[in-house]
Amino acid sequence: MMKPAEAEYHEELVAATATEMGRLLQENSDGARRPLCPVGGRTGLGYGFPVAANSLMVSTSRLDEVVDFPARDMTVTVGAGRRVDQLQKDLASEGLRLPVDVAQSHRATIGGAIASNTSGPRRYGHGTLRDYVIGIRCVSANGQIYSGGGRVVKNVAGYDLCKLLVGSQGSLGVIFEVTLKLRPQAPTTLMSWSVFDDAASVEAVLSQLVTSAARPVAVELLGEHAATQVLAEAHQDRPLGRMVLCVAVEGSEHQARWQADVLEEELAANGVANTQWAEGQSVARLLTILTDFELGLDVPLSFRASLPPSKVVGFCEASLQRGVVVQAHAGNGVVVGHLSDEILSAPEANDVLSPLRELAEEHSGQLHIERCEVGWHDDLLLWGRARADWEMMLAVKQQLDPKGLLCPGRGIEAAMSQAARGMA
Amino acid sequence: MSQSSAATAPANEFSRELLDRFRKIVGHDGVLCEPDELLVYECDGFTVEKKVPDVVLFPTSTAEVAEIVQTCNEFDVPFVPRGAGTSLAGGCLPVGGGVMITLTRMKKILEVNLQDRYAVVEPGLVNVHLTQHLAGSGYHYAPDPSSQGACTIGGNVATNSGGPHTLKYGVTVNHVIGLEVVLPDGRVMELGGPTEDLAGYDLVGLFVGSEGTFGICTRITVRLTRDPAAYRTMLGIFETVQDATQSISNIIGAGIVPAALEMMDQGIIEAIEAAYGFGFPLDAAAVLLIEVDGLEVGVDQESQRIVEICEESGAREVRRADSPQERQLLWKCRKQAFGAIGRLSPSYCTQDGVVPRTKLPDILEFIIATGEKHGIRIVNVFHAGDGNIHPILLFDERDQEQVERVLRASDEILGKCIDLGGSVTGEHGIGVEKIDFMPRLFTDDDLEVMASLRMAFNPDGRCSPRKLLPTAGACGMEQIERSQPGKQAAS
Repeated sequence: MMKPAEAEYHEELVAATATEMGRLLQENSDGARRPLCPVGGRTGLGYGFPVAANSLMVSTSRLDEVVDFPARDMTVTVGAGRRVDQLQKDLASEGLRLPVDVAQSHRATIGGAIASNTSGPRRYGHGTLRDYVIGIRCVSANGQIYSGGGRVVKNVAGYDLCKLLVGSQGSLGVIFEVTLKLRPQAPTTLMSWSVFDDAASVEAVLSQLVTSAARPVAVELLGEHAATQVLAEAHQDRPLGRMVLCVAVEGSEHQARWQADVLEEELAANGVANTQWAEGQSVARLLTILTDFELGLDVPLSFRASLPPSKVVGFCEASLQRGVVVQAHAGNGVVVGHLSDEILSAPEANDVLSPLRELAEEHSGQLHIERCEVGWHDDLLLWGRARADWEMMLAVKQQLDPKGLLCPGRGIEAAMSQAARGMA
Repeated sequence: MSQSSAATAPANEFSRELLDRFRKIVGHDGVLCEPDELLVYECDGFTVEKKVPDVVLFPTSTAEVAEIVQTCNEFDVPFVPRGAGTSLAGGCLPVGGGVMITLTRMKKILEVNLQDRYAVVEPGLVNVHLTQHLAGSGYHYAPDPSSQGACTIGGNVATNSGGPHTLKYGVTVNHVIGLEVVLPDGRVMELGGPTEDLAGYDLVGLFVGSEGTFGICTRITVRLTRDPAAYRTMLGIFETVQDATQSISNIIGAGIVPAALEMMDQGIIEAIEAAYGFGFPLDAAAVLLIEVDGLEVGVDQESQRIVEICEESGAREVRRADSPQERQLLWKCRKQAFGAIGRLSPSYCTQDGVVPRTKLPDILEFIIATGEKHGIRIVNVFHAGDGNIHPILLFDERDQEQVERVLRASDEILGKCIDLGGSVTGEHGIGVEKIDFMPRLFTDDDLEVMASLRMAFNPDGRCSPRKLLPTAGACGMEQIERSQPGKQAAS
């Protein structure tokens, strides 16, 4: 994984209560004005623009209790520092789950996952954290404790701070407590593994999936290199081809198997005869690895491209031709790409990325760089072409963090600064 | 202009020059300014408070909306957007007068892309017209407010509307992925779009539900949802309200999430039966309208489990809708329940509290007691599965004393929702009606953060003044007083 030079900002603020954290942040705001960087499980430290070197890390690790778990209301309120794996175990004890895949869930905290808007393969069927956070509590950079939403599943009182804070990368407040809407567990999950030798065949299958009689919860597309790595990590032996399509279905045993049969027939009608099915531990392992794969371990650069789903195959093909390792949440139009370790400099990376970025933007999409080697950030257009709404994002940031203490230079200000320098 | 002047100024004298400017923008037939014409726009579905706007405009394009807003800024007059006016919290009340920008002539479906699962529509499009347009395609637009035959998608965006099927599918914000907006200073801006995971803050999510205080949306990109392969619709009939609410709790507690789970009590059943003649049992204390959807292979098993739970919880009978026509009629009865209320009283006020689902028995008991205490008849039809109650308080608005009792009873019911861990609005919004509850729901610090967000979008407070937030915040706005119900909007 990219190394964010952790030694440079190891100093930590660990508060046991939100009030204590508020007091400490207020003291900082009134006094030293150190830049602050909220951290949970530290799985996202390498994300985006680098953390300022003298940042004070604000850890939520001790704010990890289950505050309220009214299982019959299908909600839970937890401290932001609770590890996602642990949270899922808590929920499973009542037959419930948060149906969002989180990478490195044994390390990642729920607060960190929300701040970085993490998701995985099952976003196609279940949405993202945006759809499950119904209440949120934060400490602002000046120590003010504020909240949005509440503890009921339907609530439109006041501005929707939950939506604003999901994916805000810790730049608008330190999330210390969240309330989540939950769903029942799925008794059975099955996942197909189908191999394709050409893009046109995948395209044909994907275009028919939108009217499939089944209701997939995940539609993942992998380039051959990505598929090879996923299988190696999963210790599974399955066929390989230029592209691999994985489709997950879930429900009762009967529902899941019925959907698998339907999908197999639909795939066969498109000439796909090699479909294998993973189930039980095998499918759980594949889903975990597909989720973790997004993080791009030991690669020089990872990007995320946003596209209309119908343009995903073409984009993946263009990426593969440039040696990019690709994984796509194909049903959602999201492609994650990892550059090979043969790319040794930012200009080389730019040569690969520029045509892909143009392709994404041609289709009303975007390509932004999620992680890259230390020292490359200044020479790469991390957020892509400037968008008109960035001005409003900056206005929001300035209102909620007027002193610019939270993650300075990591988000919208840095993107606009790049744009102002003529990079966009 | 000063920040407070737009918000607190009395009704502006509309100069001939200003009206001429508006006529140049939207044409003569796009301007209403005669008193009898304006009267139609004095309130929305919340009829307790009224205020006639100074002028009503009907733009037909984003450019016209932007030009109107720029003109309002130039002439220092407040403005408020309006859809169909079905809002139930006074969200489009022109507090302090000014310009009402009505979007109902912007009603085109601009694009439908089934392969990429989205549609682009104008804000004045009536909600149900999109689903009707999509019929047969295998896709639909999921949010289905009860007023979907009249309400507009732009209005749904402003209030983050819900509906019966949001129990399974989520509210408007879960289905809106992009917006074109005219900001309060007249700039046109794109937020989000048809592709997911764009870098930066989720301004679409923030804008949805901002009740017109962040600007005016002029184009909406919505996510389309696959039609379920199968439905099973049931009507559970109960001798007591307690048995019905216990069933709701037991269904959710069993890990079943129906597509919809609605409750109607005896009072509303009588009115609906008189209006539509479905065959509801008039002696039942409550009925539950329950729908499950999904794969054909799953719905029978799920519906059978629900029948068992209802029977175990004391249901007298559980009927099933045997045909699509019967299902449609059942839903017509439910969604047009409000239309039947005219049989019960000349005026009504609908509340929109939310409680944790397990607290439904407590709040319903409280509603009955509150009605008795204030001598107000209250009937109930609501989204039980979400814990989203809609007590309907019946009264005659010509009797000021009755109006005051209704307001007191409403306030007590909503206060109880807060005490039970809930909220004062699940889908109607704060508007002007529930503005006094914001300090009970949120701390001063919470409200300060919300006020600062409004400052980012709407620094002059000229767009939808005196809505949603109770305090001046940074804008110098004054709180609406509730001491003179029905009058304060004109202040």
